[in-house]
Amino acid sequence: MHDARYGWSSVHRCPSRHSDGERPRPARPGGGLTVPTIETRGLTKSFGDVDAVLDLDLTIEAGEVFGFLGPNGAGKSTTINLLLDYIRPTSGSVEVFGMDAQRHPAKIRERVGVLPEGYGFDDPLTGREYLDWAIGTKDADDDPAALLDLVSLTDDAGRMAADYSKGMQQRLAFAMALVDDPDLLILDEPSTGLDPNGVRTMRENVADVAADGTTVFFSSHHLAEVEAVCDRVGVMNEGELVAVDSIDGLRDTVGGHAAIELECATPPTELGVEALDGVVDVAVEDHTLTVTCVDPGRKIDVVTHVAERADVVDILSTTVSLETLFNELTEGGREGGGETTAEVAQ
Amino acid sequence: MSIDSVLSKDLTSVRRSGALWGVAVCLTMLATMVAYVNIGRGAPPLREAQDAYGLLAGLVGVLVPIVAIVASYMSITGERASGGIKFLLAFPNTRRDVFAGKLLSRLAVVGVIVLFMFVAATAITVAKYGVLPVGVAVGVFAVSLVYAWAFVALSVAFSSATASRSQAIAAAVGSYFLLVILNLTFRFSQVVRLVYDTILGLGENPHLYAAADYVSPYIAYQKAANLVYPAAMERQVFRLPEEARETLPVYLTDEFSLVVFAAWLVVPLALGYLRFQRSDLQ
Repeated sequence: MHDARYGWSSVHRCPSRHSDGERPRPARPGGGLTVPTIETRGLTKSFGDVDAVLDLDLTIEAGEVFGFLGPNGAGKSTTINLLLDYIRPTSGSVEVFGMDAQRHPAKIRERVGVLPEGYGFDDPLTGREYLDWAIGTKDADDDPAALLDLVSLTDDAGRMAADYSKGMQQRLAFAMALVDDPDLLILDEPSTGLDPNGVRTMRENVADVAADGTTVFFSSHHLAEVEAVCDRVGVMNEGELVAVDSIDGLRDTVGGHAAIELECATPPTELGVEALDGVVDVAVEDHTLTVTCVDPGRKIDVVTHVAERADVVDILSTTVSLETLFNELTEGGREGGGETTAEVAQ
Repeated sequence: MSIDSVLSKDLTSVRRSGALWGVAVCLTMLATMVAYVNIGRGAPPLREAQDAYGLLAGLVGVLVPIVAIVASYMSITGERASGGIKFLLAFPNTRRDVFAGKLLSRLAVVGVIVLFMFVAATAITVAKYGVLPVGVAVGVFAVSLVYAWAFVALSVAFSSATASRSQAIAAAVGSYFLLVILNLTFRFSQVVRLVYDTILGLGENPHLYAAADYVSPYIAYQKAANLVYPAAMERQVFRLPEEARETLPVYLTDEFSLVVFAAWLVVPLALGYLRFQRSDLQ
């Protein structure tokens, strides 16, 4: 569905297809063996006895648009802070463009555009001056007016950035990240503070940048945001990477999973639905019984089983969305997820 | 190049902040006043003009540390607390660039304020006495600059090692109290004397007590001023008994103040830099 909206994504969906000559950028030195843009090995960061990131192995290839998902506090920003050498790993390694993040921070920063989390425009500088500073520091030749126009700040360029609304600051920070056409764009929760229009514009800009071959590393707690622009996503939960796959792959994982809701005359408890073959999850809320099955074909067994034991008033059948999977992988999945796996194994 | 990026941005910010201009104007006015009220005792005009610089040095000794601390204590902590450092380090700057850029910027700002004070005081002195004691004027200015920079270095070092505003304030107030206020009244030497003689019963050791006082840049400043004063203006800074003055060890000479200042300029910065290099900035 997102192919229709973003023509570029079919080109960039899978990095291995980039050899078809459609990529505007030349291949990196080293022939076919390109250096991953981001590579972490056993990356761990502990604050006291809390592991913010635990044993993270992540590889992002050049040209990918990677969505980094997870609820607040899952370790997304910590990972980004480690990539940028804002903080130092407890153990493990981080490489960006094949360079160690701690040993070559400046060289990495020359090629990276960053929209950080928790930034502040506290200097008494105007939006335009901040942008000029960004261009000067990167020794770039961008046209500040064009960048300001891109993020719709032309009229406010002469105002102090500290007085901007959160959304305007976010757009200014995004414009600064785009300076010098970076090889890697790291966006930490880019839609924070933006109105729906701003979110859409941001998404379009990210899509444009990605279409030029820029690798994008994009963190978010909104699946929908990532779904529309990313080739691949990684899901973090409590410091650990719980899933890495393409959007399609994730869909396949959910694939057969289907849910059915049965509204009964009496609360449908203790019907033994859990024991049925192919049933993954059972939830009861008032008179509604929600059953998740490994594939839609199992639904009929559930209906038959329940109809024999209770008075079914209504039936609602749904396919499980990625959102459900995401919830299962993260907060919702902490208890249910483990049981689900166990039951499927049986 | 990168130090430049941090430096130029910081200087622009400082230039636009009203507070520091206010402080600079106040201090310049105070310096003007001190030069103006310097009361002659019928001495030749040159001697009186020199005395005016001695009076100015007294003002510098107490007030310039405040300016240096206020101008520097939030230099790096502020960027960390507000998230400004996220931008500084999102661009091709290293932590070394941030540290050096901030330090140079604040050294320059405080240097300019001290310069303003001396220019104002000199103008009044020349107008009043018709002579310019070049040696004393330049000498006291140079010593005052080093004194001010020692506090800038110390405050930037603290600033690089503290992550929150409250810690930075505690370090700033603490350092002024310990290094200046304490030495105006009750001195380090009295603490050392209490421990060494009264508690441990090791007997009197005036040279040791004086050395303890010498640790303070406030004392070192007065000793350093002796280097540039004419003989008539030199002061006994240490409270030493007569016989202890006869056999002054090298570590209590006026010249040794340069070593004290060198240590204040280098040691805190080195420690702060190492701490900053290892810190998690978030």
